[in-house]
Formats: sequence, structure tokens, C-alpha cells
Amino acid sequence: MKEKIIGIDLGTTNSCVAIFEGGSPTIITNAEGERVTPSVVAFTETGERLVGRLAKRQAITNPKNTIASIKREMGTDHRVHISADGKTETYTPEQISAMILQKLKADAESHLGRKISKAVITVPAYFNDSQRQATKDAGKIAGLEVMRIINEPTAAALAYGLDKEREQTILVYDLGGGTFDVSILEIGDGVFDVRATDGDTRLGGDDFDQRIIDWLASEFRADTGIDLSKDASAMQRLRDAAEAAKKELSSRMETTINLPYITADAAGPKHLEKKLSRAKFEGMIDDYLQRTFSIVDATLREASKGPDTIDQVVLVGGSTRIPKVQQEIGRRIPGKINREINPDEVVGAGAAIQAGVLAGEVDEIVLLDVTPLTLSIETLGGVATPLIERNTTIPTEKTKTFTTAEDNQPAVEVHVVQGERKMAADDKSLGKFQLTGLPPAPRGIPQIDVTFNIDADGILHVTAKDKATSKSASITIKDSSRLAETEIDRMRKEAQEHTEEDRKKAETVEARNHADQLIYTTEKALSDLGDKVPSAKRSDIEDRIRRLREKLDHDADLAQIRQETEGLAKAAQEIAAEAYKQTEGAPEGAAARESTDAGDDAKDDGDYIDAEYDAK
Amino acid sequence: MKEEKQERATEDRSTRQTESQVGTAAEELCATIARLQRLQAEFENYKKRVSRDLEDLTERVTDQVLVGLLAPYENLERALLNYAEDRDVDALAEGLGQIIAQFAQTLEQRGVERIPCVGEPFDPALHEALLCVPSDEARNTVIEEFSPGYRRDGRVLRASRVSVSQGPETREETS
Repeated sequence: MKEKIIGIDLGTTNSCVAIFEGGSPTIITNAEGERVTPSVVAFTETGERLVGRLAKRQAITNPKNTIASIKREMGTDHRVHISADGKTETYTPEQISAMILQKLKADAESHLGRKISKAVITVPAYFNDSQRQATKDAGKIAGLEVMRIINEPTAAALAYGLDKEREQTILVYDLGGGTFDVSILEIGDGVFDVRATDGDTRLGGDDFDQRIIDWLASEFRADTGIDLSKDASAMQRLRDAAEAAKKELSSRMETTINLPYITADAAGPKHLEKKLSRAKFEGMIDDYLQRTFSIVDATLREASKGPDTIDQVVLVGGSTRIPKVQQEIGRRIPGKINREINPDEVVGAGAAIQAGVLAGEVDEIVLLDVTPLTLSIETLGGVATPLIERNTTIPTEKTKTFTTAEDNQPAVEVHVVQGERKMAADDKSLGKFQLTGLPPAPRGIPQIDVTFNIDADGILHVTAKDKATSKSASITIKDSSRLAETEIDRMRKEAQEHTEEDRKKAETVEARNHADQLIYTTEKALSDLGDKVPSAKRSDIEDRIRRLREKLDHDADLAQIRQETEGLAKAAQEIAAEAYKQTEGAPEGAAARESTDAGDDAKDDGDYIDAEYDAK
Repeated sequence: MKEEKQERATEDRSTRQTESQVGTAAEELCATIARLQRLQAEFENYKKRVSRDLEDLTERVTDQVLVGLLAPYENLERALLNYAEDRDVDALAEGLGQIIAQFAQTLEQRGVERIPCVGEPFDPALHEALLCVPSDEARNTVIEEFSPGYRRDGRVLRASRVSVSQGPETREETS
């Protein structure tokens, strides 16, 4: 087995470690169960060394011997003096960074169950040679051979696979917890060239939290006259609530901050309740955001690039989840915005990809394609029944068994469609063919296996085979996976827009099919059972069948069809049970029972569905 | 002449044989590669299914936990509704006490326990320090709990938020 190389995003506030596994990067969870580790180191009085979350928790009791943001000092002659047990030890920034790296290494080793000795580490694009060398040295101290130092924006671009695309210009906007960076990269032949980079080392998400905290505290003071800033517990609750509110406002237009019993005065307990809208929050942090945008403009100028020459934007850092950030960037730069990968983890993931390349793992993997859209066949009522879901890796093969919808149906038509819509008519038709010569049989009896087989070249072979006669027919579709990206996007978007309406349509069709099936089997049971059914029961059931049929004929709504279906199903079950009582274990009774079961089966597992096949 | 012909015939035969062997080997190679690709694709699809199942499972577990919250939530509503009618503070306090007991029971059933705190030595694995103040208690002892911490199966769900003693001697140190 080859030696694994880990990828490390050694950040100012948080760090992240990832590994390239089975063709894709995986973020490694640390010993505390978190996917990112605070870049904090502490030395306790007892001489214990703490790294990450634990170091952060004790920071206030031990401020002198707790070190945060050591990254800012890398490559300088800054020294950290730690006094414990009457002795003073002096550490270089490399040594402190090495302690963080050691923890990440140990967490990776316990995750993988084997020793790690090599790593790829990321640094900001603006790091100079001595800062890069210091990072390399930190790795060495931690027992890691640093195979390569790569730029953070480059790692982010790698995570999106942008090195594999054509030559292009990319802007990476990285708004983290405490720092902001923007870089402009040019990519050609898999080589990245940093054209310009700039930023603000003291601007990030923590500042946004602080604005919310300040606002809450001042509102509370205005309402009650009480100053919360002296109350450590209350302030911590404000801090937590502010961060939660900020996160919630990325997906909602308004949030309520609720802090009961935040404090008390002579008059009794005091509660804090404030509504914060997205617009108000955006207003609070507008100066910060404007500052990042003016840095973006300056960086573009420095790179001698106009916004319209940027082909793609990559968003990095948790604060890029803020909708205003995305909107403003979209407004300024017409290129495509990449934000699908978790922005807290994208740099670590990119480092792991670089590590995978260096370990030779990427070469070994024959990159396999995936199906961009779902492949289905049209079944009873025009529903698209999926055989191969979208995003399935090819080559692959799937078979489902279908049956006929009419008695003595001589042929079935297989209509292959592509897309995410629930109704076949809304999807893209890829082709259709007939399987003829079915022997006469009641509906629901023939078993027709439909097989979708996509080979490694994306060519789809569809075969329909009647199990009874082994007769088969097939079709080959050449370009099932070769759609233009814009078309795929359009089809996915359409599916999203019509989700609700499509679901309703499919539900109605399903209910109609169910009702139709029930009528068929109940009528069959009535004729099979003959005079075993008391005449009053028989006429009741016949009456119910007539009513349900009327509803179907007049396109009644879903609720009415369901109600009538339920009534009929109950009545049908009763006669089946009674017939059973009369002749225990008689096959006639079994037939009636099977009928109601069959209806449920078809609904539940979806593997055995009436296909709408033209009986003509 | 005859021999030559024979030789050529033998040569032809062996060439044909080699050719057919190469052909067979090539076919086998193609078949093996195809099988390998299928296997790799199947593995990819398996990974996708597992991660989807995991997401599903997470949602279901969340559902279960939320269901456990509904009863106490409704009871709180009832308590407030009753109080609005009768304005009986004692009855309200009694009701709230029972709801808390119900909550505590739910937590206990699921193995959640409170992290011991005041009087214990400060431990960053369990406690988060919000304040550090001079006191007569020994240095690094937890002297106040702002909000309790919880753990389950040895995992910390949330660290206790505490105030920690600086010890009495720190005043001299800072001066």
C-alpha cells in the first residue's frame, strides 16, 4: 500500500486536515468530533500542552500562556515566552505552529489507523519566502515531511477541479473568521499563476458577530437601562446568540433572538427578545463588506484585469455564506460563482487533492463519468419511473420489472426519457420502441424486464424482455450523458421550480392507477367468488365501483378519488375475509386477498409498476 | 522448392497462431478492464448510497429527538394557559417543576448527565472559562457555574460555562 499524504489548511483562526481517499478528498474529524480545529495552543500550569478547542476553553484563565493566531507571526523573529513552574521557555512561531500540526497529524493517524509522515500545507498567496520556509520548518518539527507548500486560493481552485478546465482567470474571495484575502489566478495547462493578491488581516466573521452583540447590548440598555457588558455570562450568551442569528440570516429573511432571564434588577428578571432582519444585519456590516469589495477592485486593477475578464469566482471562508456577499460579487463579476463545497473546508480539500496527486493516487484512478440527469421510462398515466438516478457513476446496469395495464395486451411501448421532472412529457424524450408478440394474458400477469445499461462511453442500451416468452427488443441511445452543461442546468432548475406541481400530478396519477387496479381486481374477485358473496354486499360493492369509476371519468380531485378508493378497498377486504371463512384456504378467497395486496405492493416498493403500454 | 513451401506453410501457421493468441489476450484484457470499470463504478455508487443513507439516518434520529421535545413543550403551553385563567402562582410553579422533572427524565433516559462543576478543579475538557477572578478558593477551582454542561457516553455535549478562581495570591502578582 502506498504511503498516504495528508492535506492541511493551517489557518489563522481554524485549521483543517483532509485526505484523498478513493478518488475524492475527505475531511478528517478531530478527537473532539469537529471538522475544523481552532488554531490555538496553550501551556497549563501543570505543564500540559493543549491544542484546539480545549486550549480555547481555558484561554481566559491562562491568557499569558495561551497563543492564538500564531500564523500572523510566521517568518518573523517574534518569540513566545512561556513561564511555568518558575521556568521560562522560549518558542519560535514555527514551534507553536508545529504543535497545531502535530495535533492534526495525530487526529489523522487515529482516523486512518496508521502513521503519517508526509503532508501538503497551504499558505496565503501573499506569504513571502521566509514565511513559506517557516511553515515548512513547522512541518518538519511536527514530524511531517512537507511535500509541497501551496497557496490557499490555488487549493480552493483545485477542490473545484478548475485546473482540468481550459485556460482561464479565477478570482478567489476568502472571507474567514478573522482575515480577508482576495487573489486573482491564471490557470493554463494545470499550472496556477497568482497575478495579484491583497486583503485585510483583521477583518472577518468575528467582526460581524461583534456588531450584532453591540447592537443587542445597546438595545437592551435603551429598553431597561441595564449595561450587560460587565456581565460575563450574559455577554457569552449574547455572543452565542449573535453567531446563531448571523448563520440563520443566511437562509431566512428574519430571525428572533430570544434570551430569557438574561439578567435581573430590583424589579425582577429581565428577558431579551429582539427581531433582526437580514436587511438590518446587512446594514450593520455594510462598511466591512464595502471594504472587501474595494479591495477586490484594487486587486483587479493590480492584475490589470477588468471584472469581465474573470471567468470564475471561488468563494472560501464561512462568511461567504452571507447572501449579500454572493449577490454583490455576482453583480460586480459576471463569471460563474463556485460555492457548492463547504467554504470552511474547501482549502483543506484542495490540499488533500494536491496530496493525492503527489502520492500518485490521482493518476491511478480512471476518472469515471456520472449520469447528469435521471433516466426513466414512461409508465401508466404518463409518470416517469426512474431506472438510473442522476449522479450515478457509469458504467452501470439497472433492471426493473414492469407489467401490462390491459387484459390481453399484445405489445408494450418503452419510452425512454431523461430529466428530473415527475411526468414523462416534461422530460426530454430519448427514444421509444415496441416489444410485440406478448401472449394473451390478464393485465398485471406478464413480467417484462426493462434493463438500462450504460457503458463507460455513456452509450445507453435499453432492453425489454418478456420473461414468459424470452422475446426481447432493444434500442441504443448514443448521447445520454453528453448534454451541454447549460442544458443540464436548465433542466435541473426547471425541475426545482416545478417540484410541488409535479409531485401533485404524480400523486394524482398514482391514486388513479391505484383506484383503477382496485376496480379491476374487485370485479375479478366478485366474478370468481360468484354466489359466495351475499347479494346485498355485491350490490353495495358494485355501487361503490360505479361511483369510483365516475370520479375517475370526471377527473375528480385527489381527495375524492382517495376517499372512494378507501371505501371500496374496505368493502372488498370484507368479502374476501367472508369468503375465506366459508371455504377455508380456498383459492378463490386467496385471489381476492391478493388483489388488495397487489395494489399496495405496487405503491410501496415501486419495482413492479403497471406500465402504460398502448394496447392498440 | 517443396521444402520451402512447407516451411512457409509452417511459418504462416505459427504466425496465425500467435495472431490469434494476441487477439484472445487483447479481448481478455478488454473484458477485464470493462469488468474493473463496472466494479469501480459500482463502488462509487455504493459510496453515494451509503452517504445518502447516512443523511437519511441523521434526519430520522433528529426526528426522534424532536418528538421527545414535544411533550414538555406542550406542557409548558398548558402551564401558561392555566396561569392566564387562574393567576395562581403556586400552581404555576408546581406545574413548571413537573415539566422540568419530565425534561430531566427524558435526558436521563438518553444517558445525558450533568457535568460536575462548582468546587471541582477547572478542566478545559469539561469546562469553558468565561471569567477568572481572585477568590479564597484554591487557584484553578471552579467557583461559579453560569450555565451547566452535559455529557453522554463520555462525549461532552456542551461544556459547562464557569468562573474560575485565580487564587488569593494573584493580587500580589499583578501589582
